[in-house]
Amino acid sequence: MLEVAGLTARYGAIAALRNAELRVGSGEVIGLIGPNGAGKTTLLKCIAGLVSPARGTVSFDGEVVTGWAPERLVRSGLALVPEHRRIFVDLTVAENLRIGAVTVPGPQRAQRLAEMGERFEVLADKWDTPAGYLSGGEAQQLAIARALVSRPRLLMMDEPSLGLAPVLVDLVFDLIDELRAEGSSLLVVEQNASRLLAAADRAYVLRSGEIVATGTGEQLAARADLFEAYVGPSVDGESS
Amino acid sequence: MTELTQNLIDGLGRGSIYALLALGVAIVFGVMHLLNFAHGEMITVGGYLTYWTALQGWSWWVAAPLVLVGAVVTSLVIERVAFSRVRGSSDFTLLLTSFGVHFVVSAMFLLYVSASVKTFDRPGWVADTYAVGPLRVEVFDTVVIATAVATLLGTSLLLNRTMFGLSLRAAAADFDTARLMGVRSDTVIRGAFALSGLLAGIAGIFWLMRAGSTVPSAGIDPMLKGVLAALIGGLGSLRGAVAGGFVLGIAEVVLRSRLPDGIAGLTEGVVFVLIALLFIFRPQGLVSVARAERV
Amino acid sequence: MFPDRRRDVALPLLGAALLWAVFVGGGLLYEMVAGGAAERLVTVMFIDAIVVLGIGIYVGNTGILSFGHIGFGSIAGYTFALFAIAPTEKLNRIPDAPFGLAEVSVGPWGAVVIAVVVTLAVAAVIGVGLARSGAESGAVAATVITLALLFVTHEVARNWPDLTGGERAGLFFTIGGALDSRIPVVVCLAGAVVVARLFATSRSGRLAIVAREDNLAARAMGVNPLVQQMIALLLSVAVVSIGASLRVYEDGSILPGNFFFSYTLLTLVMLIVGGRNGVTGAIVGVAVITAARELARRLGQDGFEVFGVGLDGPPLDWVFRENLQTVVLGVAMLGFMLWRPGGLLDDWELDRWLGRTRAGDASDPPDDPAPHSPRDRLLVVRDVEVAFGGFRALDRAGIEATTSEVVGIIGPNGAGKTTLVNVVTGVVTPDSGTVILGDLDLTGRPPHHVARAGLVRTFQNLRLFSALTVRENVEGAARAGLRDRNDDRAVPGVDDLIFAAGLWEHADRRARELDYGNSRRLELARAAAAAPDFLLLDEPTSGMNDAESLAMVQQVRRMAALVGAGVVVIDHDLNFITSICDRVYCLDQGRVIAQGTPAEVKANPLVQRAYLGGAEPS
Repeated sequence: MLEVAGLTARYGAIAALRNAELRVGSGEVIGLIGPNGAGKTTLLKCIAGLVSPARGTVSFDGEVVTGWAPERLVRSGLALVPEHRRIFVDLTVAENLRIGAVTVPGPQRAQRLAEMGERFEVLADKWDTPAGYLSGGEAQQLAIARALVSRPRLLMMDEPSLGLAPVLVDLVFDLIDELRAEGSSLLVVEQNASRLLAAADRAYVLRSGEIVATGTGEQLAARADLFEAYVGPSVDGESS
Repeated sequence: MTELTQNLIDGLGRGSIYALLALGVAIVFGVMHLLNFAHGEMITVGGYLTYWTALQGWSWWVAAPLVLVGAVVTSLVIERVAFSRVRGSSDFTLLLTSFGVHFVVSAMFLLYVSASVKTFDRPGWVADTYAVGPLRVEVFDTVVIATAVATLLGTSLLLNRTMFGLSLRAAAADFDTARLMGVRSDTVIRGAFALSGLLAGIAGIFWLMRAGSTVPSAGIDPMLKGVLAALIGGLGSLRGAVAGGFVLGIAEVVLRSRLPDGIAGLTEGVVFVLIALLFIFRPQGLVSVARAERV
Repeated sequence: MFPDRRRDVALPLLGAALLWAVFVGGGLLYEMVAGGAAERLVTVMFIDAIVVLGIGIYVGNTGILSFGHIGFGSIAGYTFALFAIAPTEKLNRIPDAPFGLAEVSVGPWGAVVIAVVVTLAVAAVIGVGLARSGAESGAVAATVITLALLFVTHEVARNWPDLTGGERAGLFFTIGGALDSRIPVVVCLAGAVVVARLFATSRSGRLAIVAREDNLAARAMGVNPLVQQMIALLLSVAVVSIGASLRVYEDGSILPGNFFFSYTLLTLVMLIVGGRNGVTGAIVGVAVITAARELARRLGQDGFEVFGVGLDGPPLDWVFRENLQTVVLGVAMLGFMLWRPGGLLDDWELDRWLGRTRAGDASDPPDDPAPHSPRDRLLVVRDVEVAFGGFRALDRAGIEATTSEVVGIIGPNGAGKTTLVNVVTGVVTPDSGTVILGDLDLTGRPPHHVARAGLVRTFQNLRLFSALTVRENVEGAARAGLRDRNDDRAVPGVDDLIFAAGLWEHADRRARELDYGNSRRLELARAAAAAPDFLLLDEPTSGMNDAESLAMVQQVRRMAALVGAGVVVIDHDLNFITSICDRVYCLDQGRVIAQGTPAEVKANPLVQRAYLGGAEPS
């Protein structure tokens, strides 16, 4: 469904991505892990059209979409829940959802919103509250609901559990499981590597802009040197 | 006491026009971070259109819609030709571009229309007044206030009840994320300029009715009022801009009646000093929109 | 004030003299060719140049767009007129002038002095206002305040006829009382060019430029931009005041409209077109725009012919009309902002070009500089608490470091590392806790104080002064830092640092032209140049691969040894951390969860869990 090949991008002066490659198949949950600054967010932004890559291609359903504007990509079925959620704090919960539905034909909008209200009870309770008053967990649910309302064929999430207490992290991963069970395709970036590897079909490890490891969730989790792959080998003479 | 109330009413009349101008300025600033120094030029266009209709012998019923259309078209043209090319640039570039546009447009009036003052008749009822108890109220003020209130209500409906209004508000809050939702940049920016033009047009009709004339440089005054009022309210805030407009109008009238005779002409200067002081001590403006806690 | 006599004083003076000679010579030449009517045009051009140079001293060096300098000009112009015009004339026009001004006269020279003094007083007040509003390069607030000044002066001039003669009449010199000799203008122009150029090469000017390039990085080096901006403002207003006075004297009159929007546009366009960041650019801009306007004016006149072809029949007369000049100006402004914001010359300067061509090959690199022994100081950060709203970013976090070790801080994203750095460097004030360097309590002090006390940082996102050369970047930090510290230890020179950073061949290249590795090395050298006791490095290997990170280890060690500084480094690359650090702290959720040698910390299961996350749901 999604193919990224040879993606190279700069973020200011920093070479944020070097020849990144990944694949998301239909119905798969793909994880992207790595330390901060590795380029995970840049990779998602390149796919979503917010950043123009210097080299490489992004293909969605066989069509080359590199450099497409985000508003166009959404209409093709690609949605992103950004890092730090980026909900519109001065708009109400309902308005946030409605904006998420801007690409949905008018008559269907109300129904889609109602669906989200059913799925996320917390949101239904605070329908007309300005989003800025939501707690961290509620805000995360709103951000995800806002992306789901357009029924994307591929949903990307950037660090959905960031800043959340453990019980809310459970919530996020439960949701990922639900979506996977419904047949959605997901590309999830996470700091919490262990949990993501447990939830994902396949995953990639990104470090310093390069993919340094890939495999199924189980394969990667079983690797003894996962931590090394994650943060980089030491140079204390013994390990390579 | 009566004098104060009288001032209040006069001030509301002026303030209504300023509020509309300020709202137009604030809307454009919200989506593009651009202070539109050419905001007044839309009214000058209307002025020349009014002059032309007067030459044809037509009444204000023809002139008014033309002023509206002229303002919207001018706004969109300016966006297309100049401002679209500097989206996302530094504040320095945006400010100077805006300044340049103001000059080019007003200079073109000077060049291709005329340097001299063009006058046209005010509608008959402009000077009429009626009494409410001890107060004398101008019919004009009444019409202006009523129209302004209706326009503001309409704009509020547009912003709060329509998809377009929602897109505008979202884009003003976080442009990139709005695009991630599917909001089209072009649509929302052009829409903002069109709305801004419409508001300027409505304000312009009354401005011109009161002025009865136009010159190439006529755009500076309304632009200034709009910009200042928007600043008083805090540039990011639409409600603030409207409040700022009324504050400016009332302050002007009150100052004019309070200051000793010789200095009465300095009202504008005093208003300016107050605004500069405001910006020095409270850069975010008078109205601090209660920001919901960032999660 | 001028570290390098040759480059900072002698060459600029030479360049200024040349520039002045060419400009004045060219003007006089044109006058000879074009005849007597051009005399006024050329004189006005010289005066405009003084005003534009003055504006450039502020706008160019600070990057703050001021719309109000012509407002200062108005104040100066009217003050000059009031004190220079003979009493007999004034009693005619403004008999009721306040403060007895109608009877006073001190002649033109005294009037200029008074004009400058009065205007500077106003400028000082405005300058304080600008500082309070947090004016930064390009900010809207500064523009608004200065715009307000422009309007207030205009309104006052229009509405106070007793003082200013009002809108239509204005103030007039008697016939023959106006300027009759060119010499004062030309002399003042020479002075303006010299002052403008020397300010840019002086310490204050260079610091202003550095703050213009990156305000945050400048403060992190110890620069206080507000001070430099004030100096630039006062100097620029003085020059503009002189120019305005000359203008009034040349015109023989003053009206409110003379110093309002049109003149503001004219001077700004001249500055933008030529290149706002340079003196040569300003002069070129004045020349180009004056020529363009004159050409437009002639084309708009009837009967003008080019090679025997008349330009006044239709349709050409629809294009070339009177008042074409104003359109030309506006279009020039727009055109340059849209396509070439740097102007024709950007910041090219005649004297720098002369210096380069005459210098020939580069001077020899210095010998390998010797390391400095560090001063004995301790950095103690203790029990820091920071909460943003309900979110606790730092929870009793703290570190310690001495000047002879390298200490690392690691932790997953969101752990609070950046917040801790911000607390230490003064960007964020903690809710509680202390930051102590040696015997100084730095808690809550602003960034430039912290830097001057001896703690300098680098930025994860690489904040170089991109338009400046490598040497200027390093020098900027050197000048900012050293001034305030009273210790007399000799610090490594700028050349030594550039050489040690491996940037000797690139010393005169602009920072933005460097590749990534060199950019990082420059940032490090720049931080070291402030001769700090501690270097705080924020993710210095961000975006580097393994080989580059290892090379960075050597770089950091070398720089720190050269300057005698302890190092605190934040990074994710354990390769790098393990190689370079003596001790490591690991942060998670705002707390220090582990500390020790790199090997100890890395093997700590708490650390591994923090990075990879817990395996089971809670």
